[in-house]
Amino acid sequence: MTEWEYHPAPDIDETMAEHLRNFPRQPYMFMYALRSMAALLLRGWMRLYHRLRIDGREHLPASGSFILVCNHTSHLDTLCMLCAMPLNKIHRTFPAAAADYFFSSLPRSAVSAILINALPFDRQVNGAESLTVCSHLLNTEGNVLIIFPEGTRTTTGEMQRFRSGIGRLVVATRLPVVPCYLDGGLKAWPKGKLWPRPYRLHLRIGAPVSYEQLDESSESVRKICHDLQSRVAELGEIAQ
Amino acid sequence: MTIDLALQSDIYLNYLAIVGGVLGFAGMVLGVMTIFGKDVSSIWRTYRGWLIMIPLVMGTIFLGRTAVIVGVALLAIFGFKEFARATGLYDDWWLTGLVYLGIIALAVASFVTDPRLGYPGWYGLFMSLPAYVAGAILLIPILRNRAKGQLQQVALAVVGFIYFGWMFSHLGFLANTKYAYGYILYLVLAVEINDIAAFTCGKLFGKRKLRENISPNKTIEGSIGAICVSLIIPWLLWFSFPHFEPWHLVLTGLIVGVGGQLGDLVISYIKRDIGIKDMGAVIEGHGGILDRVDSMIFVVPIFFHVVRWVHGIR
Repeated sequence: MTEWEYHPAPDIDETMAEHLRNFPRQPYMFMYALRSMAALLLRGWMRLYHRLRIDGREHLPASGSFILVCNHTSHLDTLCMLCAMPLNKIHRTFPAAAADYFFSSLPRSAVSAILINALPFDRQVNGAESLTVCSHLLNTEGNVLIIFPEGTRTTTGEMQRFRSGIGRLVVATRLPVVPCYLDGGLKAWPKGKLWPRPYRLHLRIGAPVSYEQLDESSESVRKICHDLQSRVAELGEIAQ
Repeated sequence: MTIDLALQSDIYLNYLAIVGGVLGFAGMVLGVMTIFGKDVSSIWRTYRGWLIMIPLVMGTIFLGRTAVIVGVALLAIFGFKEFARATGLYDDWWLTGLVYLGIIALAVASFVTDPRLGYPGWYGLFMSLPAYVAGAILLIPILRNRAKGQLQQVALAVVGFIYFGWMFSHLGFLANTKYAYGYILYLVLAVEINDIAAFTCGKLFGKRKLRENISPNKTIEGSIGAICVSLIIPWLLWFSFPHFEPWHLVLTGLIVGVGGQLGDLVISYIKRDIGIKDMGAVIEGHGGILDRVDSMIFVVPIFFHVVRWVHGIR
């Protein structure tokens, strides 16, 4: 009689805290159920409390992997973009979140990993390593990455310079990028406030852009960053 | 079982004093050992695990019947999840989900009133659920029109449901009995003492291996020592079941002494066959849930049915 083959989960020796902080995470049934429920509640809350309007949903590619980039004014940016994604894709949509903030304690890790499906991004020490994790993630067909190329939330409302990471990621993966702009985030939940205020939000999704023709040089990286920044800013002007 | 009854129950309060005293004494011993420079860091980790688990167990029992049934169901679900993740069955969400539903059905059967007899806990449904759930599990490959590898997956799901779900869930059904506090608290405490006794006797007197291909650290001397200790415990805790006659106490001690070690050995050969050390790492210093409740799984249904046969479970 041939022996059975077992395939123990690779994270079997990890504690709960490690399960939540490490990436890629193994799929958990309870996590999926909780995230689906949270996504539904989030959509209701955004519609009622912030009267969220989303334009340009038709620009989201129906299949394949892609990257979503957006201006970064508040934590609401991520939540609005998750609301824009179809419900059946929320488990394959990963917002890149600062590991030093969103994964700094067990409760924060639990919210970030279970409800938001965040990818812990090390923006302080191992940025390059985190970009590699993003690349690997996007290699799997159908995965979507949400990234804020400014790196941190603005406190003035002025969009900050896009960091080079997004350019490097795009030349490495050759995937389409969908630019977005969220209007109203700064007013609704400015940095430092504990709870969001009931201001209107307006998310505008632009047409996907492909940079396949560009090589991997630093000039291309710079070009991509600059081009994406101007596309997001353009959407901002329309949204306002 | 209710909060009011727990507050009035001498049995519950006695156990609270016993475990509180043991926990406090153990903490003091560890503290003294630390002061004298002994390296007890690994024991501290285990002790910290107890500091969380004991209040959780006592708190759940304090809250009453519903909390106990829900608590046992959650332990069974998360215990089965560890088994499913260790074997690879977890990749099949249909079968895993079906076993979860089966365990929830066991909790419901433990909770609802028997429609014919009017007692809390639908015994007939509880006992027949393995047939329904096993039947449903066997239907999954047919529904999905799949054959390759299905026997292994289905067999793992059936074993997982019967062993970690149904056998363990007898503990929740015990919450419906008149002597629920005594039965449940005795089982929890006696099984843990049996575990500790097997380990300690093995360390002190262990020479001959008990089952070297399954668990090389267990010895015949440790096993006999644990059975001897477990035979004494029911006499010390006789207040838990004052209606028991002396031969019932001997039987109860034997069930815990032998059953506890069998449960331990079952998990050991499962882990050895898979090739893993622990079933998980959820409890600091203790491994996974199954590494902690393994000894209970064999004891609980045997105790339940012997008690039912001798005294009835009302």
